[in-house]
Amino acid sequence: MMAKWRRIWSLSIKEFIHLRSDWWLPVFMLIGGAIELLAVGWATSRPITNLPLMVLDHDRSAASRSFVVNLHNTEIFNLEAEVYGVAVIEDALRLGEINAAVIIPPDFSSELSSPAGRPIVAVILNGAESIPATAALRAIEGVTREMGDRILVQRLGLQTEEFEGFIPSLRVWFNESLSEALYTTPAELGLMLEFTVLLFAALSFTRERELGTLEHLLVMPFSTLELVIGKSIPVVLVGFIDFILMLGVTHWAFGVPVRGSVALLLTLAFVYILVELSKGLMISVMAKTQHQAFLLVMMLGLSDFMFTGYAAPVESMPQVIQWVANFIPAHHFLAIMRGILLKGTGMEVLWPHVLALIVLGLFIGGFSMRFVRRSLS
Amino acid sequence: MSPRYVFAVVRKEIQHILRDRSTLVLVLLAPTALMLLMGYALTMDIQHVPIAVLDYDHSSTSRDFVQQITAGDDLDLYAQVSSMEEIEALLMRGEIKVALVLAPGFARDFRSLRGMPLQIIIDGTEPQSGAFAVEHVGWRAEEFLNQALSAQMGALGVTQGISQPIDLRIRAWYNPSLKPRVDMIPGLISMVLGFPALSVALTLAHEREHGTLEQLMATPITRAELLLGKMIPYVLVGLVNVILIPLLAMLLFRIPFNGNFIVFFLLSAVFLFAILGMGLIIGVFMKTQPAALALSFLLIFFPGFFMTGIFFPIASMPEVMRMEALALPGTHYAIITRGVFLTGVGLDVLWPYGVMLAGLGVIFMGIAGLFFRKRLG
Repeated sequence: MMAKWRRIWSLSIKEFIHLRSDWWLPVFMLIGGAIELLAVGWATSRPITNLPLMVLDHDRSAASRSFVVNLHNTEIFNLEAEVYGVAVIEDALRLGEINAAVIIPPDFSSELSSPAGRPIVAVILNGAESIPATAALRAIEGVTREMGDRILVQRLGLQTEEFEGFIPSLRVWFNESLSEALYTTPAELGLMLEFTVLLFAALSFTRERELGTLEHLLVMPFSTLELVIGKSIPVVLVGFIDFILMLGVTHWAFGVPVRGSVALLLTLAFVYILVELSKGLMISVMAKTQHQAFLLVMMLGLSDFMFTGYAAPVESMPQVIQWVANFIPAHHFLAIMRGILLKGTGMEVLWPHVLALIVLGLFIGGFSMRFVRRSLS
Repeated sequence: MSPRYVFAVVRKEIQHILRDRSTLVLVLLAPTALMLLMGYALTMDIQHVPIAVLDYDHSSTSRDFVQQITAGDDLDLYAQVSSMEEIEALLMRGEIKVALVLAPGFARDFRSLRGMPLQIIIDGTEPQSGAFAVEHVGWRAEEFLNQALSAQMGALGVTQGISQPIDLRIRAWYNPSLKPRVDMIPGLISMVLGFPALSVALTLAHEREHGTLEQLMATPITRAELLLGKMIPYVLVGLVNVILIPLLAMLLFRIPFNGNFIVFFLLSAVFLFAILGMGLIIGVFMKTQPAALALSFLLIFFPGFFMTGIFFPIASMPEVMRMEALALPGTHYAIITRGVFLTGVGLDVLWPYGVMLAGLGVIFMGIAGLFFRKRLG
């Protein structure tokens, strides 16, 4: 038994010596990853603002001006200088210079002051950028509804105190300040972590094979299992340090809370790293060259990212894709991370995801061990 | 520079790719395959969002209201609950995304129109469904109010002026239903075309690892010829995907292609020149393939995903990051792809982006050439 652990240990030492001659690679991946997470998080986890908007005001009345001021006050738009013709708007849309345009008709104020008037305000959105267009649409609708409700009250001859419609109050649980960082940065962290683990796991056997040193290892008295464990220890270590480092970045730089148990989070992160590790080992023995292995790493890393809920919630995807999502470890890990970090939930809620992760791990791990055995013998 | 030598390197590189069928398939089809997967994952259709209702009023009006809210396909009544604790538990487990709380006295307030408090609670860990639900609850509530108002006013003999006074006519150009997929698929082409750049970086690092670069340098081939020869096969690989991806987008995902294909093809070639320039820089600086992969991820793929304006508008980024976004070839290419696919513009509009890409390509190639010389000398 002792001899067995000694052998594994000596293998790990060998891996570390390899890493020492290339010491900068893990360091670079760790530091580089954390810095990049910081930069991207800083740039993109903020409310949408500053969207270029054009207003064509045919009316130029007090009412129309107050409409424009209300639009401005939403702080979402960057109002372009006043325009005097539809052609300007059409050109700007074609050139992609604006996200939205609002056209106020000449009869805006007169229609509004007549008892049954309904001025038609045209809104043109640039659908070639759907995310800012949707944000612009929501803001414009909000302003219109608010102004419309006020006028409606006046028309019906009611006192403002006498009449009020719904008073919606919105409470956002688990993310009271509606900070975008709370849901974007964990997904970005997940992508970076998966990529780091896959990279180091994938290079373990491919590299030795390509450089012809695998034969040396195989003639030594190691069992396959010892070989795999020895190779895996440095990978797990790098992955785990990476996770802690990036968790620190999301927590201290972006205020992502840790409401649940830190110990549980670290344990499950460890499990997740093991699952990704077995995926990486499988790539490592299946690929003939490093080139193949690394293309596969990049493809897997990027496609798994689609299941972390960054671009779209998995629940809104087609049924087949939702079914596929169950087999993606990153999908379960993100659910676990969001649960522990933001909701403060524990095993009593998260167990299905944990179970899925473990089953996937055993399955992929078993497969990759068989593959490793076969391809090494 | 002799075309004969360049061609010799090209032939050697193509032989490398062709030598092994699995490498060939991977190198050639990675971008299109990833695009296929992401296209499906982006087919989001938020519907049937589960909602819980806590009705403190227990009146027929409040029941009618809940009926109206959940009448369509958009919001599904998941549970009628009787306490806030139940809502909390359901949100924790992720069984509902939204909860609606109707205060006691809802029916009374509604009859006298004195402001009905309507509390909406959303799960802040998944903002898309939350925002969707808030919007739809708002619409339904307004409908409900207008119906009640019409009935009341009708009884009083007032039939005019009870609809929303401002008539918003919304049109979204280029993407009438504002589907994110329609603009994201063209946008993401810039990201998947990072694969040829990764390949070129890997092959350069491969030559360095195996010491074959020295052999090449001993031949009369100049460094510029070598770099160009390395690049050309991967430009061709990229161009194959430039033909395949629009076909995929049009036939499978029904994305319109309104522009000119020749323009798209030409500008894509310029983009490939720029992005492969980045790949060459990485290959020149990194001595091993794992290092080349790590740097490609940090410089090409990660920023290519988040910083090129596909998911988050560049206008909303902080100034410094906007500058960084402009230094990425993907930012300009995303404008080009959305332009030719959706807006249908031609070279008259897109030439500045093409010029920017060509400029970036020349700069990247210059850097690669300069340091290639130094690092081997």
